[in-house]
Amino acid sequence: MRTRTTGKAIAVTVLILTACSSAMAQAPELRASRSKVIALEHAWNQAEERKDVNALDQIMDDSLVYTDYDGAMMSKADFLASVKAPARHPEQNLTESMDAHVYGDGAVVIRVYRVKGTVNGKPYLRRGRFTDTWIKRNGTWLCVASQNTLISH
Amino acid sequence: MEKLLSVLVLLMLVPGADAQLAVVPAQPAQEESRLLGLELLWNQAVQAKDTRALEILIAPEMVDIEYDGTLLNRDLYLASVASQSVHAEHIGNESMSVHLYGQIAVVIGVYREAGTESGKPYSRRGRFTDTWVRRSGSWLCVATQSTLIAR
Repeated sequence: MRTRTTGKAIAVTVLILTACSSAMAQAPELRASRSKVIALEHAWNQAEERKDVNALDQIMDDSLVYTDYDGAMMSKADFLASVKAPARHPEQNLTESMDAHVYGDGAVVIRVYRVKGTVNGKPYLRRGRFTDTWIKRNGTWLCVASQNTLISH
Repeated sequence: MEKLLSVLVLLMLVPGADAQLAVVPAQPAQEESRLLGLELLWNQAVQAKDTRALEILIAPEMVDIEYDGTLLNRDLYLASVASQSVHAEHIGNESMSVHLYGQIAVVIGVYREAGTESGKPYSRRGRFTDTWVRRSGSWLCVATQSTLIAR
């Protein structure tokens, strides 16, 4: 059940994950960065499931380019609009596997996902692979590119 | 031809190498041009099955997600390019845009590829996202993904 409180809680979690590094200060920087982007990926899933565009807004750079499973390209504004579209009702967004590679102030996350829900009352079920590219700007990790390809085998 | 491509790739990788002015940091516009050049050389190397040139462009840990969702590491990707059952006759990019973030760059574009696979013709059009990392002054691709554009 989606409530305003839940939305705020996710937004706060995202803020903590993106801005606060003190909890991970003792871990090697690379490991901490890896953990952080993986946590942000999970926060993204939750936010998308709950249509929490405020939380998504905080983890995406304004320059984000999103390529959907059908090859459609979206800006950040387009993507956020698609998430909150009333016709779309995501029910589940599962991560089957995820791997992150950190390159200084950049990171690449590869993820296999399975989603289901309804669009305009019609059910959908998809499984695919994502590549998300993240950059760290002023200590905050932001996603700048995300591409999705269906797994057809 | 293969040697020529490899030399071109090496020249394109290092900012300033072509102008012998490595002490002067490359400007964003120069970096964009360089990355666009590397993307074009990549296409040429695939068509020529020049895996040596590709080895120079691609980081050892590169991850490739193919148009059907298959995940390939660098070795598997190079083997797929070298495969004698696949002949890419034409690979062209319709559009490309470069986004620079310091030592990270993202190139997004639309490609069109035609050729034969096990003797059967194929034609594909899709969107790609390539993530490049500047390492020791050279740009290396660390991730590439392709998604077919639905018609």
